[in-house]
Amino acid sequence: MNAGVRTVLLASLRRHTRRYVAAAVAVVIGVAFVVVTDALSRATRDGLTADVAAPYGDAGLVVTPDTQEEADALVAAAREDGTAVAAEGYATEPVFAAGVRLSPSVRVREAATDPAMQYLELLDGRQPTRAGEALADAGDAEEQRVGVGDVLVVGSAGAATEVTVVGLVDGPASVDASLYLPWDDLRRLEESLWVQAVAWGGSDERALEVAPDATVTPTDEHVAAVQAEIARGVDYLSYMALLFVAIALFVAVMVIANTFSILFAQRMREFALLRCVGVTRRQLRRSVRLEALVLGLVASLAGVALGLVGGVAVVALVGVWFDDIGAVSFGPTWLVGSVLVGTAVTTGAAWLPTRAVTRVAPLAALRPDTGVDVRDAAGRLRVASAVLLLLGGTALLAACLASSSLGLMLAGGVAVFLGVLLLGPLLVPAAIRLAGRLAGDGPVRRLATGNAVRNPRRTATTAASLLVGVTLTTAVLTGLATSRTTLADEMDLSYPVDAAVSALDAPLPDGTAEQVAAVEGVTEVVELRGTMATVAGVEVPVAEVDGRQPVVRGDRDLAPAQGQLLLPWQVGNEVAGKAQRQLARDQTATVVVGDRSLELEVVHESGWGAVVLVPPGTLDALEAASATVAVWARADDGTDAGDLADALESRAAAAGGELEEGFSNRSWVDLQVDILTGAVVGLLGVAVLIALLGIANTLGLSVLERGRENALLRAMGLTRQQLQRSMAVEGLLLSLVATVLGTLLGVAFAWVGARVMISGVVDELSMTLPVGQLLLVVAVAALAGLGACVVPARRAARVAPAAGLALD
Amino acid sequence: MTTTQHHAPSEVAIAATARGLAKTYGHDDHVVHALRGVDLTLPAGRFTAIMGPSGSGKSTLMHCLAGLDAATAGAVTVAGRDLTGMDDTALTLFRREHIGFVFQAFNLLPMLTAGQNILLPLELSGRPVDRARYADVVEVLGLADRLGHLPSQLSGGQQQRVAIARALVTRPDLVFADEPTGNLDSEASAEVLGHLRRSVRELGMTVVMVTHELDAAAYADDVVVIHDGAVTAHLVEPDQDQLVAALRRRGPGR
Repeated sequence: MNAGVRTVLLASLRRHTRRYVAAAVAVVIGVAFVVVTDALSRATRDGLTADVAAPYGDAGLVVTPDTQEEADALVAAAREDGTAVAAEGYATEPVFAAGVRLSPSVRVREAATDPAMQYLELLDGRQPTRAGEALADAGDAEEQRVGVGDVLVVGSAGAATEVTVVGLVDGPASVDASLYLPWDDLRRLEESLWVQAVAWGGSDERALEVAPDATVTPTDEHVAAVQAEIARGVDYLSYMALLFVAIALFVAVMVIANTFSILFAQRMREFALLRCVGVTRRQLRRSVRLEALVLGLVASLAGVALGLVGGVAVVALVGVWFDDIGAVSFGPTWLVGSVLVGTAVTTGAAWLPTRAVTRVAPLAALRPDTGVDVRDAAGRLRVASAVLLLLGGTALLAACLASSSLGLMLAGGVAVFLGVLLLGPLLVPAAIRLAGRLAGDGPVRRLATGNAVRNPRRTATTAASLLVGVTLTTAVLTGLATSRTTLADEMDLSYPVDAAVSALDAPLPDGTAEQVAAVEGVTEVVELRGTMATVAGVEVPVAEVDGRQPVVRGDRDLAPAQGQLLLPWQVGNEVAGKAQRQLARDQTATVVVGDRSLELEVVHESGWGAVVLVPPGTLDALEAASATVAVWARADDGTDAGDLADALESRAAAAGGELEEGFSNRSWVDLQVDILTGAVVGLLGVAVLIALLGIANTLGLSVLERGRENALLRAMGLTRQQLQRSMAVEGLLLSLVATVLGTLLGVAFAWVGARVMISGVVDELSMTLPVGQLLLVVAVAALAGLGACVVPARRAARVAPAAGLALD
Repeated sequence: MTTTQHHAPSEVAIAATARGLAKTYGHDDHVVHALRGVDLTLPAGRFTAIMGPSGSGKSTLMHCLAGLDAATAGAVTVAGRDLTGMDDTALTLFRREHIGFVFQAFNLLPMLTAGQNILLPLELSGRPVDRARYADVVEVLGLADRLGHLPSQLSGGQQQRVAIARALVTRPDLVFADEPTGNLDSEASAEVLGHLRRSVRELGMTVVMVTHELDAAAYADDVVVIHDGAVTAHLVEPDQDQLVAALRRRGPGR
């Protein structure tokens, strides 16, 4: 590089460092985001794949059986041969302790009795030596208050097996089970047991002899395949995270490009002067592009440094809740890649503004300085392409509504959004003027509005950077709120009753309803009276339901019409013989109490437990005595599902009844939506943060170039407070307009998205506006916009009028 | 010196006074004395020019007199009010009520029309617009057909006329003009200076103009000459020779 140009470059970098801070911080955040994502996914992958080989012990082969019978045969054969063997698989069963159900579904795996195959880390007690002895996961055991020596019943009805906990263990991350049983106990849980693979210490010939249809693989290969599978899952997640990184970087590009164009506009005279003294167009262009390159490189390196610190912190933080996470590490490829991406983003964003620089005529230096020129808002080409994109995008969105095509939806959404961005220089100032007028009149507000719209492109780009984040955030919030409502409607159909305690062999004792009502979180109970009867040959409680009960959720009434009965599927499945034929042919069933009987039309439904529901008057017709046979409860939406289920379970057990509850499913779905909402909003938060930085930056740089003007206003009688207020209003107008526009777009996109994606899955779509959340987004963005101008406004107000007038 | 004469305060109304006014910039080794004890009385209803070579402190003197900058020592009284010790807000409110400004450049806000620029000081202080005064000022300065134009659509001379109109519309006690013709050609300069003089003669305003151009100073009634931060002459209706002589003389400090 020419020495003269180098001198200028270095001097200008030194002089303008502070003005580049915001652009640099945008890059730093983006690059750090990449590095942290990588650190987190590497730690997760390492943690999850670390001990995949552990369960296979020394067994050299892994046999994948074709059927569960083959698995059984393989284990039996290995025992006969005296070779090492372990079944890789699990059963999912309810577990009871002292007659109380601890959990409806517990993952159960094999606990090896052969010391060579015992890989679980023992924390308390000892390893099992024979059937009937079990190991429990230490964490889960503590949660369920199970200790060494406790007797558990695993499985229900005929398959139930009783075991004694002899040890508490900590399993590797790849082994996700709460309970470990010796093979002889485990194989009895055949209903839910599924063995994927068998670790095989014998020869492959022997394996194929026992299980001819099985596949035999060397253990190393099998482990590698499993690890690759896990890694793919983690990678998938990190690619999803990279999508948000890309969004954040897109916003960063806007912030950087805006910073450069503002700075270059302010330095036009300087550039013109350089051209006057003999710097060529090429030299000038190279010099400013080098400036961008140096900035990008330095900021990216700083971003890597921040990412390294952030990665260690985030992995440590995640480790607090998720102890299977591995040690923190960083991939060199990603580190180098993130620096390259950060540098490329910076230089790329500076590309267009630097072109404007080279167009400056040397004569510009000689003209009287008339301040920063106000460029025209939008050229005809820009408006035309914006309108084209808007129309085309809308057409695509309309088409995707008809065809439910995801591709069309994405293309249409992107086109519409780009159209809005292109139209920004017209749209945003107009919206700001309108908002300014709505805010009332007065010199401060008029000044703020005028300042906010005086450079339409700059204003539009600043608003656009916030628009991206807000549009996506509100779209996701609305989309997820809609999913939540739609899912809730589905849940209402599947689980019309939050919890039902039903009689088993005898009516429930008096006071059961009060017992259930006393449980924390239960808001309403209803007691169903009825009697024990035989329905279609099955011994079952029968309850009269008089119209829709207030505890019932959703569209189903659970109230049989006269002449009908509601038959739950648990009961229907048990119907056999003649009654089954009658049921299939006539859709009727006979209800028998003592020597009286009644034939009713059958309606198949479920969701309230194993009780047959009949219309009022049935008991009288059967001359049956009335007793409590079921208690239905409705719970408050915020109640902890686990606590509620535990409390109700013990009440049901005490009453000799059975609990069926839909509440935990409902709250599990709610929790998933909450987690998804939190994760997406959190990840989008990075983009919003960068955009807010951009607002602060634009305002800050504008303050610098308005130094003279502010001094003039102050000379004419604008007080410090008025000046600060006018800048606050300017920031507020900018962020509010961007947020409101973004919210409108986001809600519209969510509506289209929900139509296309959800309505295919469910019959009825209930579009829900999360009004509270949307208002919160607007409020947060407005406040942040206000906060973004605190520093620039203070700086502007601090300048004494006389000092400001001396500026050039 | 027969040409130097201090006005007797009893005869003429006083627009502003400065007593022992000093202003220093920097500290320790790098102290710059912009003003070294200036005593000055500016009579009301006159067009006074403050002259001096560049770096003589004439702009600093004007800034201190106008309440744009706080003096390091000494006292300033404008329109009977002592500016010493006023805080920023009080000074700002004072400027609003009592002082008008015309600067060399950057006089107008680029996003406001000429008319809006003229009315801005009134709006800032929330005072009602005196329509008759506005029409008067616009008429005197010949701006009636330019009121809807943005500054970028006006010539340099027209811009300065808008600035003068803005300074006059509030009926200030004192109008300060800082090199108002610095950016103008001679024809536009003459026009602007003529307007300033007319605003004194016809509208009864008091105008204090900082300039380094002899031609500009010739439009003024009185001329204050400043050298090296000190007033070296206060000439009443001087002729060209007196003025040149006063400018040639160095200050007492040298």
